[in-house]
Amino acid sequence: MNDLKRSLSKKFLTIIPIILAAALFVFSLTIGRYPIGSYDVLRVLISPFFPSLSMDIPDVAKQLILRVRLPRILGALLVGASMGGTGTALQAIFKNPLVDSNILGVTSGAGFGAAIALLLQSSPWQVQLSAFIFGLTAVLLAFLGSRLYKSTPLLVLTLMGILVGSLFSSLTSLLKYIADPLDTLPAITFWLLGSLTSLTWSNLIILSGMTLLGTFFLWLIRWRLNVLSLGDDEAKTLGINPIQMKLWIIVVTTLMTASAVSVSGVIGWVGLVIPHAGRLLVGPDHKYLMPASIGLGAVFLILIDDIARTLLPGEIPLGVLTGLIGVPLLMVLLRRNRPGW
Amino acid sequence: MKKYRIRIVMSLVIMILLLVACQSVDTDQPSTTEIARTLQSTTELPPSTPIVETEISARFTISAELSLQSAITALYQAYFPGEAPVFVETNADLAVFTRDTNNGERPEIFPTFLENAIVINQTDSQNAAAFINFAISPEGQKVLIEAGELASTLTLRDQAGNQVQLNQPIERVISSYGPATAFIYSVNAEDRLVSASYLGARDPFGAEVMGKIDPRFPDIMGEEFFTQEDFNIEQAASLDPDLIITSARSTWLETASQLELSLFLFDAENPERLQEAVQLTGKIFGPNPSAYADAWVSYYNAVSSQIEEQTATLSEEQRPRVLFTGTEPLRVASGDMYQTDMINIAGGVSVSEALSGYWNDINLEQVVVWDPDVIIVPPYGGASVEAITESPEWQILDAVKERRVYQMPKLVAPWDTPAPDSVLGIVWLAERLHPDLVDLDCSEEADYFYNTFYQYAIPAVEIARICEFE
Repeated sequence: MNDLKRSLSKKFLTIIPIILAAALFVFSLTIGRYPIGSYDVLRVLISPFFPSLSMDIPDVAKQLILRVRLPRILGALLVGASMGGTGTALQAIFKNPLVDSNILGVTSGAGFGAAIALLLQSSPWQVQLSAFIFGLTAVLLAFLGSRLYKSTPLLVLTLMGILVGSLFSSLTSLLKYIADPLDTLPAITFWLLGSLTSLTWSNLIILSGMTLLGTFFLWLIRWRLNVLSLGDDEAKTLGINPIQMKLWIIVVTTLMTASAVSVSGVIGWVGLVIPHAGRLLVGPDHKYLMPASIGLGAVFLILIDDIARTLLPGEIPLGVLTGLIGVPLLMVLLRRNRPGW
Repeated sequence: MKKYRIRIVMSLVIMILLLVACQSVDTDQPSTTEIARTLQSTTELPPSTPIVETEISARFTISAELSLQSAITALYQAYFPGEAPVFVETNADLAVFTRDTNNGERPEIFPTFLENAIVINQTDSQNAAAFINFAISPEGQKVLIEAGELASTLTLRDQAGNQVQLNQPIERVISSYGPATAFIYSVNAEDRLVSASYLGARDPFGAEVMGKIDPRFPDIMGEEFFTQEDFNIEQAASLDPDLIITSARSTWLETASQLELSLFLFDAENPERLQEAVQLTGKIFGPNPSAYADAWVSYYNAVSSQIEEQTATLSEEQRPRVLFTGTEPLRVASGDMYQTDMINIAGGVSVSEALSGYWNDINLEQVVVWDPDVIIVPPYGGASVEAITESPEWQILDAVKERRVYQMPKLVAPWDTPAPDSVLGIVWLAERLHPDLVDLDCSEEADYFYNTFYQYAIPAVEIARICEFE
């Protein structure tokens, strides 16, 4: 009876972040530098179905909501969810609470890819493509590198990820050094700090496809993460091929992270902090932790992005805000919350 | 044990060999100093000694104010050794007199050998023309310094507030700051450059035109050695410069000051500082460059006041609201930047005036709040009008719907940077913002400007290319 109660409340707690994300999503549509009343926003949202309802709203406001705010907030939601989910999954399979999506160098690789495209003054979609491809390349390199060494593959993979990450960071620094300080350098710096400014409906397609499929996959395998985090031998005993499973998770999280990073730029800390926040809320059981982390990631990034786009006339880089808010948050969580990891 | 010792000795030997090899590679090549020297000697004026003619009567006659005759005599005797100038009252080949050279809206600049003292060739005398070139050259400056007509050292306060002592004449200059290079060209002192960073000479068109403006451009282009971020000490030492001109924001100033290099710093992010910078550049190089600098300042002021007069009837609300974007559509110029001053002079209002710092990243929503009448795109960094006009999101703005998005032109230096060319940027902007009020024509002004300040006979095709407006 007690167990049922606990599991019910856990289910409830798990749903909270998701409900919160949905509510915040709608609320965020009403805030912005351009003042639009919340009732007007709602009318605009349903205007595709009931055009007569929003006749009196100026065209600018409608366009702003449908073409600028909606894709951007949707993007924040997807990127946040993706980072929360991948962070949780990677922390589970690496059995390390200090892991985030960049563990295999995907972010550094994507940063390099974007920097090189920005240096060559490519169009925005070329920048995204280049970031995506180099993100995958980095992980592939780390993976191939780990094959050089036979034993304890996961440890070597981690090491290789760090090495490849540093390699791409150095290459990015080299590009920044070469870049013209008047035009390409600020563009590269801004990209490396992360921003959702460039999100439009057209580049949301890949992101949403990857994120939805990936998140669904992570949600499906959430209980296996519990098994994997016990250790390889235990997983084998319970009928799971740990190597194969981990490989799948790495492939999926890499694709998700690369597609997220390629539109948003480098946003640190979300993938690291959110799983801890999730553990504080629902405990270490991945059955609940995974959906909670996904929801919390979305909430966190929508909030951060709201601040980034409304606080000042100038856009504040997301990487700055996630760091400023994420680091103290992690400290508090690690201090006050000592659940089993 | 022995094995290891041998290895260590071997590796030491190899290292020494490598070092020696490096050294010999260095000495095999002709040093860059030599190259620079030969280059310079080919561009130098006719040598002063070999002109030997039996005829003793003067090569040309000179009419000169009494106070200037001693200076002219010194120059003449230095250029034609053993000869004396013949001064006449009227019908002289050469007229020498004092005059303010910087008057008028579009001043004509005459060869100036002392402050306000100009020398004009009134006939076709070849000798007289060569003499004028000598009089305004660094060699002529030396003669005038020896004769006590010009000061041998000059102390100027640079824009970082340092007192810089300059031994005249300054003959070998490194410019590691693109705008400063443009200052040097516009005061007609580009022959003193031994290495320079350029503004806007990276793209093929800019490089091509720069090569036509100055045939030495490919040789003195020194961007791989000298920029605001980077300063190659070895290369600088090998060039043996009298002076290094750079931005006050250069990152290597600390290093350079420890090496006691002679530095002159510029920090010109607004019109007043820009005018001061150009005038300082003139003063560094002597009377003739100074005349060019003064002429440029008076031209700049003439353009500004003409626009001010012709738009005086407009109230603050009637002035067009301008958004000046950067290399990306959502990057805008702050109020601290020169672009904002240009917009104000051209009779507009910058919507992003309240922002501070350098380029600011913003979001589209903020642009909608500002609702600009006109959007200006810069001519560098891959920025394009299409990036804005073809974006579905930007169609929200009236300025985009009504196609009032324009790209600032450039010849070599972009017209929106704090360089002398920016006066044309102001003309061009005023023409776009107030087609009915302001009576200035980009083509005419570009023709005057490049002919006068860059001594570049700009072809009509290039004028059409930069000033064309659909």
